[in-house]
Amino acid sequence: MKPIYIVLLVNLLVWTGIFSYLLYLENKLKRIEKQ
Amino acid sequence: MPGVFVAVFIFAPEVEGLNELSRIFFFHVPIAWVSALAFLWSMAQSVLYLKNKRFENDSAADAAARIGLVFCSLATITGMVFAKATWGAYWNWDPREMSVFILLLVYFAYVALRMAVEDHERRARYAAVYSILAFFTVPFLVFILPRLFSTLHPSPIIDRGGNIMMDPTIHLIFFAALAGFTGLYVWLQNISTRISVLSRQKEEI
Repeated sequence: MKPIYIVLLVNLLVWTGIFSYLLYLENKLKRIEKQ
Repeated sequence: MPGVFVAVFIFAPEVEGLNELSRIFFFHVPIAWVSALAFLWSMAQSVLYLKNKRFENDSAADAAARIGLVFCSLATITGMVFAKATWGAYWNWDPREMSVFILLLVYFAYVALRMAVEDHERRARYAAVYSILAFFTVPFLVFILPRLFSTLHPSPIIDRGGNIMMDPTIHLIFFAALAGFTGLYVWLQNISTRISVLSRQKEEI
């Protein structure tokens, strides 16, 4: 794999992780609203 | 942040020996920094909880530890991708990899502890004490242990005299990335704490 693709993959992993955490927070908020 | 990404891919010069892969540095290091900052904030909020017994401090400590775990996991994963590209394997049992793995286990145990205790007061008290004790392992695992053994990990950017050994352009972009990720952490910490406080208030009704 070309090194620049590896850098882009790392970038993608970082933002996927951060957005996953934001989704977790959104789900937590929805659960609170349902209660 | 978008400006930082443009700068990373267009203006940042490549480092000799690593070429394009050196750009990973602009994501990997700020993420590792944010995880250490989050663990420090968790410890500080735990101290405040034990002093004032305000549940907002406990919620902030919980949120900080979880954010720290997310960023520490991301630092480990990005490090593994870098390791595969440069050293040929995702996991090399390197002292740096082992120390960050132990750190992950320490903070996963924090989350497990919170999940195991149902009573709010006891959970907050146990978690606060654990968080303070857990933070003492951070300087040892991040700064001391990896330096005691020979490691494949690139050498630190700050020498023993406290001087930063970096190209001026890399220096500028790196600190911009560091500021951007720190700002992102502050925002995440703020919304996480507010949701955590809300959750606690609902539980008590």
